[in-house]
Amino acid sequence: MAKKAIGGIAGIFLDEATTVNAARKVRESGFTKFDALSPYPIHAMEEACGIKRSPIPYVTFVAGCVGLLAALSLTYYTSAVDWAINVGGKPMFSLPAFVPIMFELTVLFAALSSVGAFFYLSGIPRIDPPIIDKDITCHKFAIFIPENDVGYSADRAERLLKDLGAVEIKKMAEY
Amino acid sequence: MGSSNHSHELKLSKFEAPQQLKTAIFGAMFIGLLGLAYGLLKAPDRFWTSYLVAFFFFSSLALGGMFFTAFNHAAKAGWSASIRRIAESFSSFLPAMLVGSFVLILGFKYLYPWADPSQAHRLTGGKALYLANWFVILRLAIFGIGCLVFKKLMVGNSLKQDINGDHALTHKNVGISIGFIAFFAIFFTLFSIDLLMSLLPSWYSTIFGIYMLGAMLQSTMAFMVLMIIWLRTSKWVSGYITVDHQHDIGKFMKGFTIFWAYIAFSQFMLIWYANIPEETEFYLMRSHSGWLAVSVALLIFRFAVPFLALLPREAKRNNFNVATVAVLILVMQYVDIYWLVYPNFFDGEPQFGFLEISVFIGFAGIFMKLLTGFMSKNNLVAIKDPRLHEALNHHVTY
Repeated sequence: MAKKAIGGIAGIFLDEATTVNAARKVRESGFTKFDALSPYPIHAMEEACGIKRSPIPYVTFVAGCVGLLAALSLTYYTSAVDWAINVGGKPMFSLPAFVPIMFELTVLFAALSSVGAFFYLSGIPRIDPPIIDKDITCHKFAIFIPENDVGYSADRAERLLKDLGAVEIKKMAEY
Repeated sequence: MGSSNHSHELKLSKFEAPQQLKTAIFGAMFIGLLGLAYGLLKAPDRFWTSYLVAFFFFSSLALGGMFFTAFNHAAKAGWSASIRRIAESFSSFLPAMLVGSFVLILGFKYLYPWADPSQAHRLTGGKALYLANWFVILRLAIFGIGCLVFKKLMVGNSLKQDINGDHALTHKNVGISIGFIAFFAIFFTLFSIDLLMSLLPSWYSTIFGIYMLGAMLQSTMAFMVLMIIWLRTSKWVSGYITVDHQHDIGKFMKGFTIFWAYIAFSQFMLIWYANIPEETEFYLMRSHSGWLAVSVALLIFRFAVPFLALLPREAKRNNFNVATVAVLILVMQYVDIYWLVYPNFFDGEPQFGFLEISVFIGFAGIFMKLLTGFMSKNNLVAIKDPRLHEALNHHVTY
């Protein structure tokens, strides 16, 4: 069975500012695959960790355009070509009547594709990193350096996190 | 938090309008006076239609500022605490709005069929009572005075807090804001119906008040974006108003662009589908000769272009891009009100000339005079707001 999560070293922190600062220092010392965990979103964390903008908005835009055109073709084909029915003396191809359907399919395609892209990009259902400490969902913060990171050695990672103010170091084994 | 890339010193000094701006304001008011004199003597019909469009345009900005302040208080928003004073400063036009609506009474007989006794047969059902002169004037007075009272309470509390820093004022403003929103929802709807929809008293549209609300908020956000860019690059404020605030007001501007289009289309589609004579009348007038071009221009330049132009994140953070879209939206707000008023009087071709421009510039002069007066009398930022620290640490995530 494939590995569900890879091991590594986790440092537990007690406050937000130290964690953001530590994340920045970890990135500056050359690690690229590390992760920061927090019970709530921290706005400055993306740039501290060096996370690039997500490509999801582009997926949303393209999927929305596809949805718009799909709805236009669907309404055109069903109402004006395949089964034309005169409704209230309006032309067969009546754009105003089709706009609500075009709007709905734009939203539907865009929303479902965004969720799909999010699942794909975040690797769900993979659990990554492993479960470190239940208090991370409550009042503690963590920085996790996986063992396949660039220039990883358990000693180096442990020393770095300690120096940056981690109150506790946890060795996580793969499972 | 995140202070490394957002390091800025907080600086706030007294605002004083630059000399060129003061000259421009007096010039604008003078041009407005010229328009007034020329219009009243030569073409009172055109003068009053120009007056109505410009009056509604600037009243919308003032009311939009009040509404923005109110919904931010009601939501207990922290991010906007440092830019709330900008919205509050728009309300300095409200006294002029009250005076302006009384001045409008003089123009009733040029503008509204219901003010003409020979047209009384067009007022069926309860309309004869609803559109009786005294009843319209009473509603205008209630709206104008009511807004002033709420301004005195809501904006007044905020100004008082600048001095004594009392947190209780912030809590008090939550209740006042909710009261204002309820008052505003009813009386702004009636205000739009009385001033714009009743130009064609036989026409009904139950969504009209919301249409004007969407237009009002979209244009207010556009004007706020311009003010934010101006102040944030100025010498009076630094650190309090940031690109992140600009970004979020830009998002609001895009949101209300979509909202306006949604309401405009809802109104159009239901009338087009049902095809009832007293409703289609409105769109028939606007779907031939020169008016069709204006109608299509609204769809393109008030919705399609701003919507696509505001989609990228960088477009809202780039001063030039977002300012261009904001100016476009403000122009289209004028065109929208113009499109609601003018086809009732000029059935053939759209008329636009010296009167429209001069009256608009005159109103702009009064608006800017009151606005800069407010800004130089008060702080540019609500410095003792208890939620100010949230606004100073406001970052827009990806």
